[in-house]
Amino acid sequence: MKKTIVTLLLLMIIWSCTKDDFCTQSPVTPNLILRFYDDINRGDLKSTSGLYVWAENKDTIFINQATDSLVIPLNTASNQTIYNLSEGNVVNQFTINYTIRNEFVSRSCGFKSIYENVTFSSSSTWITDFTPTTLTSIENQNSAHVQIFH
Amino acid sequence: MYRYFISIIFCFVVVSTFSQEQTKKVEEKNDSIVYTSPYGIRLGIDISKPIKAAIDGDYNSGLEIIADYRISKRFFIAAELGFEDEKTQEDYSKSTAKGSYIRLGFNYNAYENWLDMNNEIFVGLRYGFSVFDQTLNSYSPNVNNPYFPTTPINTPVTTSLNSHWTEFMFGLKVETFKNFFIGASFSFKVLLNVKEPDNFKTLYSPGFNRIFESGTGFGFNYTLSYLIPFKKK
Repeated sequence: MKKTIVTLLLLMIIWSCTKDDFCTQSPVTPNLILRFYDDINRGDLKSTSGLYVWAENKDTIFINQATDSLVIPLNTASNQTIYNLSEGNVVNQFTINYTIRNEFVSRSCGFKSIYENVTFSSSSTWITDFTPTTLTSIENQNSAHVQIFH
Repeated sequence: MYRYFISIIFCFVVVSTFSQEQTKKVEEKNDSIVYTSPYGIRLGIDISKPIKAAIDGDYNSGLEIIADYRISKRFFIAAELGFEDEKTQEDYSKSTAKGSYIRLGFNYNAYENWLDMNNEIFVGLRYGFSVFDQTLNSYSPNVNNPYFPTTPINTPVTTSLNSHWTEFMFGLKVETFKNFFIGASFSFKVLLNVKEPDNFKTLYSPGFNRIFESGTGFGFNYTLSYLIPFKKK
């Protein structure tokens, strides 16, 4: 009887101290996904060559990329993020405007920022076109958000 | 000659059994003393909560008054009334819960006392109810990429909440001086219902402690109590 009580007490102490909730969701706040397509044959993916990416007044986030898909974070502390995409020393500015709504996910994951009323604009140097120009919201990373033609 | 000895032995046997029976009768008479135990109301406080408030920085304050009333040899009606103020710090949020609670139920004493002793090893069942305010003091969005640093949002939001739960307890109470008891108990709680705030979650409820993902909780108390005896039975 005494032994059972002591074991039960110990089990309860250990149990009550263990963390029961781990955030397995990654990422919680979605990033922006850009997909690069050929300007002429618009159904075909076309990789960039020597792409450098940096946000306005920030360090470079991607160096010399040859890719057809780009995953970039948006600034949750602002309503606007300006990215500079440079290919062969030609800089194309890509601006994203949005409003932020923070949604509670769970105790360990915390809050997720959802970007709403998203509008895109481009300085149109080497990026000839993009679609869509507006999005009602960016909630997840299940698919690309913007198609970029170059 | 042998016959003579054997007869003598038989004689002894008879005498010895006779004498035993006589002492038995005397013992039965002495056994008529019945040990009585006191019945009454027992009041006390949980001293673990003020101690926790002094050493645990996240636990702002807490007080619990306990009471029980003996209704039969083994059953006690029991209640706890308390107040708690606690900070919950998670990776992405900081919140406080502050409010009062009541727990009502009974204890069953499973311990067989010797003579006139008055100790308890008990199991108990409770229904708990709490009314409290939870304030989300600050939070920051969960961004896995450190490229843009996040800024915490510091606009406190307070919501009035309540919770109901059931509780299984086990513990002990020891009479150290006459009518003065020291007790300790552990409890396992199962949440029945909780009001959740908008766009957040009830992470802590006074009297229930941390609300785990599965809607369960744990509690501990260390009590000092005094029995006011009404009668002896």
